[in-house]
Amino acid sequence: MESQPNTDEIQFPARWVDGLLFEQTMLQFASPHCTDNSAVNFYFPTGCKIMIDAGVRLLSFANQLRHVGKTIVLNFEEGESGTLGYLNRMGFFDLLHSDVFVFPHRPVVSGADLYRGGSQELLEFAGISPNHRDQGLPNRLTEVLSESVKQRSDRHALEHAAYTVFGELIDNIYEHSATELEGYAVLQVYRNGGRVKVAVSDSGRGIIETLRPSLNAEHRDLAKRSDPELVVEAFRTGLSRHGKVRGCGLKTSADQAIRFRADLDVRLPGCFVRLTPSADGYKPHKALIYDSLPLIWGTHISFDFYLDKES
Amino acid sequence: MKQMNQSVGVISLRKHMDRDDGWGNAEGREVFQRILKTIESDPGKLIYRISLEGVKRTDASFPRESVVELARRFREKKGFCLVDISDPDLLDNWHDAAVRREQPLTVWQSGKPKIIGPSPTSGNEAILNYILSKGEATAADVAKTLNLQVTNASTKLRQLEKEGFVMRRQEPSPTGGIEYRYFRIG
Repeated sequence: MESQPNTDEIQFPARWVDGLLFEQTMLQFASPHCTDNSAVNFYFPTGCKIMIDAGVRLLSFANQLRHVGKTIVLNFEEGESGTLGYLNRMGFFDLLHSDVFVFPHRPVVSGADLYRGGSQELLEFAGISPNHRDQGLPNRLTEVLSESVKQRSDRHALEHAAYTVFGELIDNIYEHSATELEGYAVLQVYRNGGRVKVAVSDSGRGIIETLRPSLNAEHRDLAKRSDPELVVEAFRTGLSRHGKVRGCGLKTSADQAIRFRADLDVRLPGCFVRLTPSADGYKPHKALIYDSLPLIWGTHISFDFYLDKES
Repeated sequence: MKQMNQSVGVISLRKHMDRDDGWGNAEGREVFQRILKTIESDPGKLIYRISLEGVKRTDASFPRESVVELARRFREKKGFCLVDISDPDLLDNWHDAAVRREQPLTVWQSGKPKIIGPSPTSGNEAILNYILSKGEATAADVAKTLNLQVTNASTKLRQLEKEGFVMRRQEPSPTGGIEYRYFRIG
């Protein structure tokens, strides 16, 4: 990859890139949100396969950077036969800002438009617009998830839990993210990996940003905690700027997801935390906490549900 | 469910919803308003049985902002309970919602009542179970059965009513004056 003047270059590795590897890659670069460069090149070498939790963050990030006037280029070395083709099938380019440049070329026909709803293994990227509430979205995600875990004996209960998780997270975007930029939700079954990934992403105010001001007044002890520690607290205890009567969305989601041993990743503007189930609720995976990450606006949450693990 | 002397109405939740799934704060608040209109159009009812027939799934926010909020708003004046629950898994989110609003709800399944949401204090639990099984009781009944002072039983019953676990009605006492009869919601 040739370096360009006034350009931030971000290169992903030539292998499967999930949400965690996305962050580990980002750690090697300064956030384009914080540099004076006017352009950003994202480079995807042959063999680089973007998974949906990484893809949804990439989509939000690219649109954020375009929103602040940067020139954005996504360069897919492998062309349509690689990750570009997959992202097209998932509807990524339908939601990517039309001024973002795509190499070798932006797909002319949307794979998502051609095949939408035709697979029981995925739900294409869906926009969550602050101006139009897609009432059917949590249900559509739930139906695909339910179909994918039909071998689990607890499928039915999982269905209710998943609906709750999706509903609460998407509702949070409508109610709290306070941005003109769209949020996104997506689901993909990874049979070989034995899991279903569901990711929800927004570019609004991150949960810590909305939480901290209320902590100074009500929870002085918590106000000194780091961002990752507050994330853990929000998911474990329902800590919320609305107090305990409202704002139970994150905890409710976590309470439901943990019953089915789902792993949970949370990416906020400056930090990433992986939460893993334990007998005592979700606990942060100590080796997988990153503070001081390059800035990406918003809240980005993904769950991994296992295809055959019983709760 | 034993029919009491109070006036009872049945409200189909599904008929007040746009779809068979209930999602989010906004939709919950909308359904709250629709049910409120139904209630206001027939103000004589004391108990409302909210039928969940045809409701496929809900998150926790939807019931919190609709039915649980109604029950909280009308506490001590009107009682709300849930009936026709075809899928017990549906109730997990309703329980969370009721806990969050600190508003218990009586649920009727196979002709038996149970409470979801917050638990009564340990000192009041036996009295609540007594009323749930018997249907209704006075302070004197409870005092005799559970070996309590009448004043103590009366205080506990009043507390259960204030917290939304049971309701009460006033009746002439056999010994003169009035007495309160506490009853389960259903």
